[in-house]
Amino acid sequence: MRGVVAIAQNTVREVIRQRMVLVLALFGVGLVAASQVLSPLALGEGRKVVTDFGLAGSSLLATLLVVVLGSSLLHKELERRTIYAVMAKPIRRSEFLLGKFCGLWITAAALIAGMFAIVLGVVTVSYGETPWLVLGAMALTVLELGVITAIVVFFSSFTTPALTAFFAAATIVAGNFADDLLYFGSQGAAPWVARATEAVYWMLPHLTVFNARGAVVHGIAVAPERLAFAAAYGLLYLMALLIVAGAIFERREFR
Amino acid sequence: MSTIQDTAHRSGATALGGRGIHAVPTMPILSLEGLRKTYRDPMTLKPFTAVDEVTLELERGEIFGLLGPNGAGKTTTIKLLLGLARPTAGRVLLEGREPREPASRSKLGYLPENPCFYDHLTPLEYLDLTGALFGIAPAIRRRRASDLLERLGLGAHARKALRKFSKGMTQRVGLAQALMNEPRLLILDEPMSGLDPVGRSEVKALLREQRAAGVTVLMSSHVLAETEPICNRVGIMKQGRLVEVGTVSTLLQSGVREWEVAVEGMSDAVAAPFRAGGHDVERIGSRSVVRVRNGDSLQDVLRQMLQAGIHVHSVEPRRETLEEHFVRVLDGRTVARGGRS
Repeated sequence: MRGVVAIAQNTVREVIRQRMVLVLALFGVGLVAASQVLSPLALGEGRKVVTDFGLAGSSLLATLLVVVLGSSLLHKELERRTIYAVMAKPIRRSEFLLGKFCGLWITAAALIAGMFAIVLGVVTVSYGETPWLVLGAMALTVLELGVITAIVVFFSSFTTPALTAFFAAATIVAGNFADDLLYFGSQGAAPWVARATEAVYWMLPHLTVFNARGAVVHGIAVAPERLAFAAAYGLLYLMALLIVAGAIFERREFR
Repeated sequence: MSTIQDTAHRSGATALGGRGIHAVPTMPILSLEGLRKTYRDPMTLKPFTAVDEVTLELERGEIFGLLGPNGAGKTTTIKLLLGLARPTAGRVLLEGREPREPASRSKLGYLPENPCFYDHLTPLEYLDLTGALFGIAPAIRRRRASDLLERLGLGAHARKALRKFSKGMTQRVGLAQALMNEPRLLILDEPMSGLDPVGRSEVKALLREQRAAGVTVLMSSHVLAETEPICNRVGIMKQGRLVEVGTVSTLLQSGVREWEVAVEGMSDAVAAPFRAGGHDVERIGSRSVVRVRNGDSLQDVLRQMLQAGIHVHSVEPRRETLEEHFVRVLDGRTVARGGRS
């Protein structure tokens, strides 16, 4: 476990020291500022527009951070051979992978927490009320980022950064439309198509489970049971992905 | 700081049943048995054997030099014994354990060839990470990191980002991280690479210190002149095979290769019979050097010189260097002795 913690700390440090995080953070602040500019056009719904725009933008930026940085994180280690000295220490490859996952997830979670805090602050100052319901959406978004990070780590355990980014992006998009996929698969297609579609449906991450951003904007709180279900589903899904990724990485040859 | 247990381990002693009885374990610190690694070309699927039937055992407290030209299989062998690659056949045991077991690497220090470390870190941070991976307590690893950086001449650069380091400085950081856990086995892939003469001298001194402390060292190198004086034994690899293993003195047991007779004021006319006799004559200013191929001819050559009234300045035997032996082995002009440990 000490190896996982050490690798996770190093990954957090590595990601934070990259300029991209700063650029994304500035972009997030800019996004919130832009929503302020747009709010007068919202005919009295400015608070909702600022909150909606801020939450959606923050989530998108954090996802971008995970996909872009995560897809090259492992490959860079192999290409520059920094991993050689690390793997000569008493640490398992699966622990190394878990450390990388934890470090990236923690950084993304910190980024989302920071951006949600900015949204909360802007709304509080501008409209005199703090939309605390946002915190429920934030918790779900952090879980969603955990699943997305696991997807990126899974693909990066056996393929190149470009393919990792492509596959991860495709999985995220498909994961947001998993229900539609199941629906279309069942509409008059051949039985084997319906069965295949159903299998893909169960394999895909159901990312809509984690999206309560629209609901909280309209004042609907995240119910504790929904949060519990999302946490259980998210943790199980990411653990399954990490176990498979760990098994693949354990067998990988370092040339 | 070494603990009493560490010292006991380093000396190879094992306490039995708490009665103070000690036995010296016979288990080698590193053992390679019939090790083979075959890669396949990803495009043509044509197999390529990088390491072929390598058998070797390292004795505790020795410095073993793994020599060979580029592509001989040295680095692949090192990767196999660290568990970075899987052997196609044969096996590696680190103190009786498979290298894939993390515990087998707890007392191992490794310096990769042309090392590259996390350039977002400083040497202190990197050594702290290394110490954490070994499970060393924070206070001890901080102290050890500072001591090692001072010892390797990097004390003034301890808080500078690694991306700003030269090749030689990075090599020193590599040595520091390899020593963080006070290893019993040090595996160094080209440790002299990128170092200036002072740096090489310091590394040699460091390796001798480690050997004196009971540490076993396996080092690969191209710099044979640097390897010869510090290695107890060397192994020569050629096309994946360990073609010779032995002490430097055993490998060079052919003894005197030739005799160099330095003389003053020898004319070409006097030198002519020596040349005709198959000896090289080289003129350097007023001095000439006659290279006599064997001891039997030496007496005749000296007698002729004295009869001609030539002043003989010195007579020196010249032995084969490790480099010359290495080149001869690679040329295939020696009988392969196999990889005996």
